[in-house]
Amino acid sequence: MKILLIEDEPELRKAIKQYLHQEGYIVESASDFNKASEKTADYDYDCILVDITLPNGSGLDIIKQLKQNHSKAGIIIISAKNSADDKIIGLDLGADDYLAKPFNLAELNSRIKALIRRRNFDGNKSIIVNEITIIPEERLVKINGETVVLTVKEFDLLLFFISNKNRVVSKNTIAEHLWGDDSDQMDSHDFIYVHLKNLRKKLAEKGCTDYVQTIYGIGYNFKTTI
Amino acid sequence: MKLIHKTIIYYLLISLPLLIIAGFFSYELIKTELEDGTDEALQKENLNAQKFISTFETPKNVVLSIDNLSSIIYVKNNLKGQEYNDTTIYDNIEQENINYRILKSYFNFNGNNYLITVSKATLEEGELMEGLLSSFVIIISLLVVAFFIVNFLISKNLWKPFYKTLSELNNYDIKKHESHSFQQSKTLEFNQLNAALNKMTEKIHSDFLQQKEFTENASHEMQTPIAVIKASMSLLMQSSNLNEEEMNQLQSIENTLKKLSSLNKSLLLLTKIENNQFKENESISLNEVITKNINNYSDLIQLKNIQLEVDLAEKISIKLNPILADILISNLLQNAIRHNIKSGKINIKLKNNSLMISNNGEPLTISKSDLFVRFKKNDASKDSLGLGLSIVKSITDKYDYKIAYSFQDSLHTFTIQFI
Repeated sequence: MKILLIEDEPELRKAIKQYLHQEGYIVESASDFNKASEKTADYDYDCILVDITLPNGSGLDIIKQLKQNHSKAGIIIISAKNSADDKIIGLDLGADDYLAKPFNLAELNSRIKALIRRRNFDGNKSIIVNEITIIPEERLVKINGETVVLTVKEFDLLLFFISNKNRVVSKNTIAEHLWGDDSDQMDSHDFIYVHLKNLRKKLAEKGCTDYVQTIYGIGYNFKTTI
Repeated sequence: MKLIHKTIIYYLLISLPLLIIAGFFSYELIKTELEDGTDEALQKENLNAQKFISTFETPKNVVLSIDNLSSIIYVKNNLKGQEYNDTTIYDNIEQENINYRILKSYFNFNGNNYLITVSKATLEEGELMEGLLSSFVIIISLLVVAFFIVNFLISKNLWKPFYKTLSELNNYDIKKHESHSFQQSKTLEFNQLNAALNKMTEKIHSDFLQQKEFTENASHEMQTPIAVIKASMSLLMQSSNLNEEEMNQLQSIENTLKKLSSLNKSLLLLTKIENNQFKENESISLNEVITKNINNYSDLIQLKNIQLEVDLAEKISIKLNPILADILISNLLQNAIRHNIKSGKINIKLKNNSLMISNNGEPLTISKSDLFVRFKKNDASKDSLGLGLSIVKSITDKYDYKIAYSFQDSLHTFTIQFI
């Protein structure tokens, strides 16, 4: 799985690269418009993360070029300009997703996975982790073949855990994933606790191993490897 | 006190002593003139009497007036000259004292001497005074009336540009500066005033824009560093050899960072609203926006065991930017959830083209007027930024909706009147 990261801020580039690398992706990066333009012309990528404001040009033009060349790469815009206009323009040009800075790496990771899943038409549409099978399109969860009925938030929580399995995900990151910008306004940690408690209970009822580890006060790790 | 009233008072203060002095002089002048006139008339009558005497064949006494005051008396001794006398005689008919001026003169005709006495009733001083006083009162009242009329006309016309400028100044809104300019007038001073005001508001506005731009740029520029810290934190968190103490510190950094990040986002949103960056308006069904937001927050409402009562019988459609419509409703709803008590109530009602949202909660610890002020929050211990209601207010301000707050029966109620 090959990803191109187009981002001019070196520290952020480094951190994203490292995180995605740990996920098993091959990550290449470009720091300005010209380099990005070259790379997208020369190589094929499964997913391209593109910042809109770049030295020497706009990330939106990269998207235009990709679409002109009938690129099959999934495109996620990562922009500091959280403006609705940019979002609409970007998505109209053919970008698949839009993530406003500052974002969580776990969130970026889950968006990339969702994107790749959607693009992978002929492949397997389900995610299988040991006894758990998730079919995201149908929002279906099965434990050892037996369907578990989950609420919207419980399902989102489980999918987010599995997308970021074997990683420490902080409560704040989960809250932002579940409630978006509104998570600022909530006593969100309590709500996560309640949702997680219900999710664990429902999974355990079907005989699923409790993979969720509490990491001190900070967050959780959905640990599927020992 | 109005300018006109002040002018009138000054005019009166100046004209009063002037009128008193003028009154004194007129009194003296009129008095002298009257006396002169009387004297002349007496002399004339005296001459008439002399002519009359010339017709006498034998000397005799003649009474010339009914009141006995004017007469021709034949006297033996030969005296010469004339003298004036003033006397007051009580008049039985008019029942008052009347002043008389009397001229006594001697006249010799055919060797006979006559004393001619002619008299004339004169004006009393009191009467003169009275007359003068009343005429002056009339003059003063006429002046006051004239002042009022003149000033009214002056203020209507001469001061018209001034009052126009004043009302424009009152209605001046720095956020709508472009649509504003103080118009030229035909009066030099007002022109200068308007030019000065134009210059001043121009300067204030450009400072205001710079300030706003700065806030927006600063918020924007902060996004990337925050993103870097956030990303680095995520990586650090994966490290397996952190102990609990270190993890707790990491969490406190993350919590603070999250607060900083949302603060930044909210400020950016506020400046964007105020910078008019949400332009496109659509016809929005409030009913739909409210229903959507209630669904979004249904889990939070349930978890807090809040009783939700919704009355959306009235359908309200307004012209609004869809993003702002969503922010408006979600901020109000979040506010109602956040500040609610456990097992409290939330009522949402659309009625008479207005939205009412009320929730249970502790009484305010800040003043009502501070409710919409940035960073003013009711309960400092709660994890609130103090920007949610400021955002609501800036949206209602943008569209000229009226928002009101009231607290009754332990229910906080926000009412937005749409237009």
